[in-house]
Amino acid sequence: MTAGAPATGAGEPLRVETLPTLPALGGLYARGAAASGRIAAGRALPGLPVIGAGRTGDGTDTTERPLALPDVAYRVPSVATAPLARHLHDYQRLLHEPVTDVLPAGYLHVLAFPLATAVMVRGDFPLPLLGMVHLANDVELRAPVHLGDVLEVRAWAERLRPHRRGVQVDLVAEVRRAGGPEGDDVPVWRGVSTYLVKGFHLPSEEPGEPDPDQAPSGTWTPPLPTGRWALGPGTGRAYGAVSGDRNPIHLSALSAKAFGFPRAIAHGMYTAARALADVGHARGDAYRWTVEFAAPVLLPGTVDVAVTPDDPGFSYVGWNARRGRRHFSGTVTPL
Amino acid sequence: MATRKPSAGTSRSTTRTASTAPADGVRDAVIVGGNRIPFSRAGKKYADASNQEMFTAALEGLVARFGLQGERLGEVVGGAVLKHSRDFNLVRESVLGSSLSPATPAFDLQQACATGLEAAITVANKIRLGQISAGVAGGTDTVSDAPVAVSEGLRRALLDASHAKTLPARLKALSRVRPSDLKPLTPATDEPRTGLSMGEHQAITTARWGITREAQDEVALASHTRLAAAWESGFFDDLVTPFRGLVRDDNLRPDTSLEKLASLKPVFGKSLATSSDAAEPTMTAGNSTPLTDGASTVLLASREWAASRDLPVLARFVDAETAAVDFVHGREGLLMAPVHAVPRLLARNGLTLADFDFVEIHEAFAATLLTTLKAWEDAEYCKAELGLDGALGSIDPDRINVNGSSLAAGHPFAATGGRILATAAKLVAAKAAETGEPARALVSVCAAGGLGATAIIESA
Repeated sequence: MTAGAPATGAGEPLRVETLPTLPALGGLYARGAAASGRIAAGRALPGLPVIGAGRTGDGTDTTERPLALPDVAYRVPSVATAPLARHLHDYQRLLHEPVTDVLPAGYLHVLAFPLATAVMVRGDFPLPLLGMVHLANDVELRAPVHLGDVLEVRAWAERLRPHRRGVQVDLVAEVRRAGGPEGDDVPVWRGVSTYLVKGFHLPSEEPGEPDPDQAPSGTWTPPLPTGRWALGPGTGRAYGAVSGDRNPIHLSALSAKAFGFPRAIAHGMYTAARALADVGHARGDAYRWTVEFAAPVLLPGTVDVAVTPDDPGFSYVGWNARRGRRHFSGTVTPL
Repeated sequence: MATRKPSAGTSRSTTRTASTAPADGVRDAVIVGGNRIPFSRAGKKYADASNQEMFTAALEGLVARFGLQGERLGEVVGGAVLKHSRDFNLVRESVLGSSLSPATPAFDLQQACATGLEAAITVANKIRLGQISAGVAGGTDTVSDAPVAVSEGLRRALLDASHAKTLPARLKALSRVRPSDLKPLTPATDEPRTGLSMGEHQAITTARWGITREAQDEVALASHTRLAAAWESGFFDDLVTPFRGLVRDDNLRPDTSLEKLASLKPVFGKSLATSSDAAEPTMTAGNSTPLTDGASTVLLASREWAASRDLPVLARFVDAETAAVDFVHGREGLLMAPVHAVPRLLARNGLTLADFDFVEIHEAFAATLLTTLKAWEDAEYCKAELGLDGALGSIDPDRINVNGSSLAAGHPFAATGGRILATAAKLVAAKAAETGEPARALVSVCAAGGLGATAIIESA
């Protein structure tokens, strides 16, 4: 990667479009929902339900135009964090982070998320925002970022590739210190979010209901827990309020049902960020933080977690103890 | 803290010479006696008794027993684990409500379930350093009359509204309150950092150490049998003052049996059944301590102070050690801190487990006692986790909790230390009187937060 010339992981160059400010997520969701409907209607992804429209377009319009990601990277050159103190502290309290002026990696994800979402709601983005399933995240915080730092944020999509249940795509976001010396192109934070696009179903199984026929629980035995999270029905609303990610599947049982979930589900990033907070000071100032999501966490719900020292760093896993079913797992490794 | 140099040998005759003028320049602190109110299961006899009422009752009983009316003591130290913010001077208010001189200073202290023992350590240290001549240590707790807090959302809105300077600003702050914010919050015994209750934490430790249901039920049975026998023999006649119509600990089940205990359903560790290391859940309401209300006090003094008032001296408070363990990521069990404290305490005093006539280990759960003993017998664990050359050793079961402990008596968190200390002091005094030889007791109390406090006392 050369300075000032963003490219995908595969080295394909990207056209940089500079935006004056980070977009607001509320409007993006409205656009995303509309775009999802348009994409569903136009592209006819199989079995893709749309709010109020039931299943649309089955078997129609299969004239294939190859899926292609926009060759654009969005860039917001100057994001001031000084006014974010209250927001940061709300985030820290919600996620059980110590309340300080150091931005946790999960907070930087929240900060960059609207820009990544802006990429996903572009007219030429080929996949529907509301049908995307968050599979995994891989984040590196390479140096501490403090309240008051002025940041440059970039986001683009890359690596559209097949998945056995559809396609997957990476949304990459990077955070740099604004006004750094030219050529100093190393981001202080880099996050790769991997999404699956299929219908509104999860990769492993029907959500919620026990499904002994295809239960993967037989292949995984939970460890002894180190903690237990009692997540109330408002967990999704609370993280939605702080992160701006008000995807209807997180907000209420009713809105989640529209997307095939029996109840609201917790944000994956909420669970991963709670695990990151649980590691505490041992993660150091710079760390890599990964997560893979499995069965969704239905709300309200109880999640057993094991956050255990691993060489190097920590590994963590969260599961439903009653069903022995894994919700997520990942690592936190000091850099 | 001043430390006592280990004696040259570890045999009893050589380690029991210390008395009035220790070489390290501190004087002896002795236990004169104790007084508590009977402990009561939550929601029963003491349902409307406050912490202050219970602590005042226990304190007043102590004052009456030792003729301390109008006396200005050096300090009264105690606390409560579940404490209302209005009780910021709980112990001082209790002193003012007692017949002690109002010139008796007091302060509150809190170390979860180790509060009572930590209070005694503090008072003993002040006495040993010559800062005070006599003091009271104790604790009180009520689950029945526990403080109820408002939700974080309501609390923040109320605080913002009270800081607001204008009516619109105040209304704006209050408009943030949501219906769900109005639900009151009752205190939980969950560990703040893990979200696991103390019982669930112990269930993990229990599973890891492979403690059986049968062994736990036997500990529970012994606790009830021994406490019942102690009550019958009059052991508590000069340790307890009736309160609110209660004359004995009402959790005590003198007629319980292994069959009855075996019939109880597990309450903790049920969700561990799917985990790789866990066996069937083993912890029941019978082998776990119930939530309890109560208060206890212990009178400590210098020898001179006790002698000048013709008061008895039961035991010398020899030394104490606290510890904490890293339980958050499962390296150690939540209630295992005393396992770490005791070897350090023994090493500093040149003692081994075999040097104790009595060992008082707080029975938070029967399994807590059993994991503690098993850990000290495990050479590999003692080497790796405690830094010892081998196993710390075994303890003769006939020396452990000989008059019963928390499983039978109940466990009003901050009051347990005082109950155990007074019992242990009386035990060593009686043993020494009987045999003409010095007697020694080890006291161990585990606590939330991965904390633990331990102490050595010996006949004075």
